[in-house]
Amino acid sequence: MRRARRTAVIAATALLALAGCTGHDGGEVALTVSRSGCATEWHDPHGGEQTFRVHNVGINTTEVELVDPANGAVYAELENLGPGATRPMQVTLGRGRYAFRCLPEDTDAVTGPTVTVTDGPKRGAPAIVPVDEQVLRGPVDTYRSSVQHAFPTLRRDVRRLAAAVRSGDRAAARRAWLPAHLDYERLGAAYGTFGDLADAIDRLPAGLPKGVHDPGFTGFHRIEYGLWHGESLPALRKPADALSADVAKLVTQFRTERVDPNDLPLRAHEILEMTLQFELTGEADQGSGTTLATARANVDGTVAVLDALRPVLRSRFRGLSAADAALHKLRTLLDAQYRHGTWTPVDDLSAPQRRAIDGAAGEALERLAPIAALAQVRRAQ
Amino acid sequence: MSESRWPRRQLLTGAIGVGAGAVAGVGATLGSQRYAHADEPAQPDHVEFHGAHQAGIVDAAPARSTFVSFDVLAADRAQLTELLTTITRRARFLTAGGTPPNPGITAPPDDSGILGPQVPADRLTVTVGVGASLFDHRYGLGDRRPTHLRPMRTFPNDDLDPAWCHGDLSVQFCAPNPDTVIHALRDVTRATRGAMQIRWKLDGFVPPPRPSGTPRNLMGFKDGTANPDAADAHRMDQVVWLGREAGEPAWTRGGSYQVVRLIRMRLEFWDRISTAEQELLFGRRRDNGAPLDGTHEHDAPQYAKDPVGSAIPLTSHIRRANPRTAKTASSILLRRPYNYDRGVDAVGDLDMGQLFVCYQRDLAAQFEAVQTRLIDEPLVDYITPFGGGYFFALPGVRDDHDHYGSALLA
Ligand code: HEM
Repeated sequence: MRRARRTAVIAATALLALAGCTGHDGGEVALTVSRSGCATEWHDPHGGEQTFRVHNVGINTTEVELVDPANGAVYAELENLGPGATRPMQVTLGRGRYAFRCLPEDTDAVTGPTVTVTDGPKRGAPAIVPVDEQVLRGPVDTYRSSVQHAFPTLRRDVRRLAAAVRSGDRAAARRAWLPAHLDYERLGAAYGTFGDLADAIDRLPAGLPKGVHDPGFTGFHRIEYGLWHGESLPALRKPADALSADVAKLVTQFRTERVDPNDLPLRAHEILEMTLQFELTGEADQGSGTTLATARANVDGTVAVLDALRPVLRSRFRGLSAADAALHKLRTLLDAQYRHGTWTPVDDLSAPQRRAIDGAAGEALERLAPIAALAQVRRAQ
Repeated sequence: MSESRWPRRQLLTGAIGVGAGAVAGVGATLGSQRYAHADEPAQPDHVEFHGAHQAGIVDAAPARSTFVSFDVLAADRAQLTELLTTITRRARFLTAGGTPPNPGITAPPDDSGILGPQVPADRLTVTVGVGASLFDHRYGLGDRRPTHLRPMRTFPNDDLDPAWCHGDLSVQFCAPNPDTVIHALRDVTRATRGAMQIRWKLDGFVPPPRPSGTPRNLMGFKDGTANPDAADAHRMDQVVWLGREAGEPAWTRGGSYQVVRLIRMRLEFWDRISTAEQELLFGRRRDNGAPLDGTHEHDAPQYAKDPVGSAIPLTSHIRRANPRTAKTASSILLRRPYNYDRGVDAVGDLDMGQLFVCYQRDLAAQFEAVQTRLIDEPLVDYITPFGGGYFFALPGVRDDHDHYGSALLA
């Protein structure tokens, strides 16, 4: 239940954002698109706020983009414009050259005539050179290798946890639990790729009919619950061994599993969305009181994603340094809650401390959110 | 505190016999008031944002509001200025309405979209206040604190929950429709994320007149009848707005002390007492809001003719709040209350009450003087203040180049 499954709705979300817009009186231009022509009716361009009513008169579902013909940078787009459908595209045009680009399903892209805007504001809406799978290949590889690099430590620490549980020494088992869990949480971005194993390894009791007593409650939090609720250690052997086995399976699977390139830009803010919802609220806590440690590990996971994406973002994302700064602030605030080898349980924070951390997490999220939109995979040709 | 837990109903019983007679006496004139609001002029679609004073204070309260207390996270004075500038920019846009810019493919949409693609002004007002804590060591504003601005006092009948008290900033959003209020709140919190964090928030609503005159509170009584005339600018200068005040920093000019009190009503208990007792508690009739010695809602009570309180008990809410003597005239304040609904309490009773807001030039001489007279009023058995705070509503934003707190931070 903790894995966000957003990939499937991406297209629809972007579409809603644009479909909601209608233009000012007089700023409306009616255009048609089909396989044979892409918005050829646009003859008399004007700067300022414009609404294009784009009508798909063809038989293919089409993506329509308003681009800078010099470099293909996209000002606005309509995704999945179905045959017969008309949708508004709202955009503020500055002075410069524009063209529509149509990307009908299953056929080649068609670019309409180039038009030049000579009136209105100097600068219009920002444009971005679209990201395609090719562009994301490097970041995905970087990210994959960073995950793979972290696997041996994860496996080792999970085995140590299982051994400590078997030894019957509760204090040792509690000590071994956190490093193993944090190893896993640092991978954060991989939720989507880990599939069902992610649930088995790191699920919460929510959604299970019998909650913490449900046989389906497994993984780190199951063991945490037992260790901090006085369950006998022999009873925890099974979940601890199962965790070891699941992690081993994960490591094997990951070698052959494909990382959806779209996952990476999404995770830039998704990891911390989960952190805010489950860790900073304390909801994920099953007794160890270490959700701030998890949050801290999630910041590392986010930074790993951001670092992998950096080459793609540098030319596209003006807010990159602000996002870095916001993450840094959050990390500093969290680090301050690690004292003498223990993490402050979230409920022990003073109200001002809590607000500072929550506020910093919220700020980081706002700063990271554009990444999912601007680095989303778009069709090349 | 322990003393205040005991019901004080007996205090009134002596007066009930007398009062009940008075109620019967005026009952004959019932129904003389009719729909006063039928031919009101149509309202413009927006409330002017710029001006010497903020909106949302002397203008009539529209149906919906939310009152939000924030703590500021800004690291220094420059960031605080940036925060207030951002709130100004958002409030200016939201109160005027317009089309939010489209970020294209560079970011998620700028606007939540809950008001549709074009944001209507919908008579939204945004009213910003500063709390005493903003003048602590953090921003070097210690010497600019409005003289009377301190953390809200605990009064003897209070049962304050620290989580629902005080705050560095107050922002009150008011509009005729709840979606407009929520839209504005989401917009402002998003634009200021990381610079301030919500401390507490309570939504308010005001019903239409039933059937006419002043809207009723959840106890069934018209609430706001005896307010000073908010349309009278001269009167508002006397009661609400700070001018060139002796002893106040110059930047406060055009602002006003804002008191908010979150007051739970024991409505189930209230509904189990007689109309006569209810009326004696307030000193007014429940049906039309007239004072118990009068006939119509806006009749003035004649306390001089009723020195022992046989018509309007000396302990009644209105007589304690405003004894209408020469000596107490300086304590008159402007109330702008809303009802609130916070769900259900531990015993299954409705957690509802009044989001009491009032404005004045002098906290001590007005709100605190009135609240002090109200200590142990018999009404306290049915109401419990659980939160709130003292704030100073900033002077208005003068024009497009000005921002909230410009004089404070200059
Ligand atoms: C839940 C709490 C309260 C309720 C239900 C309540 C209700 C009422 C009602 C029904 C009236 C008579 C109608 C009117 O003139 O508006 C009234 C008057 C008044 N109330 Fe309250 N009130 C509450 C709290 C307060 C507080 C906290 C204050 C100030 C400290 C206050 C100050 C006044 C004043 C000044 C008047 C006008 C008295 C006059 O000039 O005749 N009230 N209130």
